[in-house]
Amino acid sequence: MIDQRLYEEFRYIGRDIFVTGLTSSHGGNMSVRVGNKIIIKRRGAQFGQLKPTDFVVTSFQGKDSGIIRASTELIVHRAIYEKTSALAIIHCHPRTAITLSLSRDEIIPIDNEGSYLLRKIPVVTVEMASGSMEMANIVSEALRGYKIIMQRGHGCFSIGQTLEEAYHWVSTLEEVSDIILEHKLLGEPLIEYRKHSESYKNW
Amino acid sequence: MEGWAGKILDIDLTSSSINTVPLDMKMARLFLGGRGLGGRLLWDLVGPNVKPLDPDNVLIFSTGPVTASSIQTSNRFNVSTKSPLTGTLLHANSGGWWGMQFKRTGYDVLIVRGKADKPVLITITPEDVKIEDAGHLWGKTVFETTETLGQNRNKRNVLCIGPAGENLVRIAAIMNDKERALARGGPGAVMGSKNLKAIVVEGQERNRPADKEQFKFMQYETRKLLKANPITSQAFPEFGTAVVLNVVNEIGALPTRNFQQTQFEHAEKISGEAIADKILVKNQACWACPITCTRITKTSSGKEGEGPEYETTWAFGAQCGVDDLELIAETNYLCNDFGLDTISMGSTIGCAMELAEKGFIDADLRFGQGEKLHDLIRDTVFRRGLGDDMAEGSYRMAAKYGAPELSMSVKNLEMPAYDPRGMQGQGLVYATSNRGACHETGNMLGPEVLALPRLIDRFATQGKAGIVSVHQDSAAVIDSLVYCKFVDPAIGVDFFARTLTAVSGIYFTADDLMKAGERIWNLERLYNLREGFTSVDDNLPDRLLNEPVAEGPSKGFTSKLAPMLEEYYQFRGWDENGVPRPEKLKDLGLADLLDVTT
Repeated sequence: MIDQRLYEEFRYIGRDIFVTGLTSSHGGNMSVRVGNKIIIKRRGAQFGQLKPTDFVVTSFQGKDSGIIRASTELIVHRAIYEKTSALAIIHCHPRTAITLSLSRDEIIPIDNEGSYLLRKIPVVTVEMASGSMEMANIVSEALRGYKIIMQRGHGCFSIGQTLEEAYHWVSTLEEVSDIILEHKLLGEPLIEYRKHSESYKNW
Repeated sequence: MEGWAGKILDIDLTSSSINTVPLDMKMARLFLGGRGLGGRLLWDLVGPNVKPLDPDNVLIFSTGPVTASSIQTSNRFNVSTKSPLTGTLLHANSGGWWGMQFKRTGYDVLIVRGKADKPVLITITPEDVKIEDAGHLWGKTVFETTETLGQNRNKRNVLCIGPAGENLVRIAAIMNDKERALARGGPGAVMGSKNLKAIVVEGQERNRPADKEQFKFMQYETRKLLKANPITSQAFPEFGTAVVLNVVNEIGALPTRNFQQTQFEHAEKISGEAIADKILVKNQACWACPITCTRITKTSSGKEGEGPEYETTWAFGAQCGVDDLELIAETNYLCNDFGLDTISMGSTIGCAMELAEKGFIDADLRFGQGEKLHDLIRDTVFRRGLGDDMAEGSYRMAAKYGAPELSMSVKNLEMPAYDPRGMQGQGLVYATSNRGACHETGNMLGPEVLALPRLIDRFATQGKAGIVSVHQDSAAVIDSLVYCKFVDPAIGVDFFARTLTAVSGIYFTADDLMKAGERIWNLERLYNLREGFTSVDDNLPDRLLNEPVAEGPSKGFTSKLAPMLEEYYQFRGWDENGVPRPEKLKDLGLADLLDVTT
């Protein structure tokens, strides 16, 4: 079912996510939507070492046994595909972004590239554990208006038309977060250079 | 007004009645405006018992909630009708000034029904609507009519048909602001069938945003992104839309000589670069547009006009085997003056050339005979000889002479300038487009060639259905708000949602709009199903499915439509016959139209 081209895309993006420190060896998951099916990384597969057998093809609506091998957060992926026009989803655990999410309700970039691409990344709180229906509802609802969001203390969910696009937002989020953190550590006042930057809060 | 004016102007030419009716705001929120709202109104007004050129067909001119708001490119408008070329629901849209000016008369939509007993024109201002005699204009060209009626760019704007529309040519356009076109599918013939020569608008009302601060921010951000994007800030202003001609040729996807080849050996001579070097006088913008893609050109014989656009350059160039850029530009001026769709005209001529070369018609006509283009076009407009067949479009012409397979069309609408054998996703776009083969309803040039938003393998098929569907839905959103598609490389649906929220004061998310796009797409599908179209019509010409490209970068490829189409129906939530499932229609708020699927 998964063709070679698609496998290659999963493989190189999974590798990049791991080696750039955007997640731990087994943390997170990725999927794409093809027709009325979801192709998702299997539970416990290593991001940086994906093999053709590390994927599960499951139905869009549920009701098949593929879920027994699929990622814990399949339910969240399904809800996102249901509520948004996403064709690809990446969930991973970028460290600086998680750090910022512990004390903020939104991450607003201060660098030029991050402002240009993301403007604002909302932070949502989910009480129940990963893979819960509560998490599926909160995360998918937040993604109706944003291409990437943070779950407080857990990680990000990013969507795109391709895995590469979703990866771009993850990578940008972590760069944004690193810059915010380093600027804070520097302790110097920000010299604002962006007109209307106050409006990013309302994005 | 804040987004929607809340009024429809409803004119019946048979009875000369003029009525103002309130816009159903629930319908407006679901279908937005422009193409979506026009399609929904058409659903109620024109059923399968109405033939396209009957008085009972209607013309629905519709603006969107951002039209005339002054957000970048908010000048465009739509016409919806039943197409005399395809028999499908037809939507076509155009830029310039007319759409903005019509909105400023205080209406969102103009419905024209019936048929006048003699040629008439309609004049609309905020204070008055008049139906007047237009006998003195009948027979005049578009340029003559536009000037006679006092076109004044920001104050008084003229929309009209030329002789092609009057003579019910099935590929006739409606023209506005002299050289802008509601081109595809023959809306000009519908206007001609109603004896309606022109609609003149003079407005003064303003589409003022509900949230001025947020609107100013969105204007600023939009301008910033349009300036930052190399396509909207450099490629289009410098070379116009023909900037893509060399690129498409290089990858082996430029249809040549009626799609017999996929590369044109003289492409450089007719490229955007050649236009800029040889005939460009200046570039020009539609109202509220910083992109300035319009070309004002002049040939060595002193003729001057707008264009040619990429598709036109291809249609009279590679498609006909012609490499004379000045001749192509003058052919474009001629088509604009007569009121013709240049894509269908050029493609039909290319089809006639192949019919003649292969002996299906007895005519001294060969590829590369540029000197014959103007006579062929005049014969088409005035329905003389072979031109009378060409006026019916390529499919009816080719079928009459026993070779319908030589018409490069889908649902009788001629394909534009991308060969699906070199861009697999584009084949799926053509096959499933609700108005027939069309590049404006989900063009895959972005993802398959220009890396927008990301480059995908243009020869791959798996996963294409989803990307095509998303592009089709977002194109429906753009056509319904109404923006110009040329902002698409720089800004996306999240921008549109935030701008619409600022303009209307009603909160929309990006996915509210994508859902609206999907709703509009399914509505159009239902309309065509009600007209008797089936999955059999979701097809491509046999040449593209069975004749591999002989040479070049796409060598050996045919269009692999079948697996993409299967995946597409699944993605859309349609059954194996391409019929939307009841649960999908309910989810989209189209449950009241369910009857057509049972």
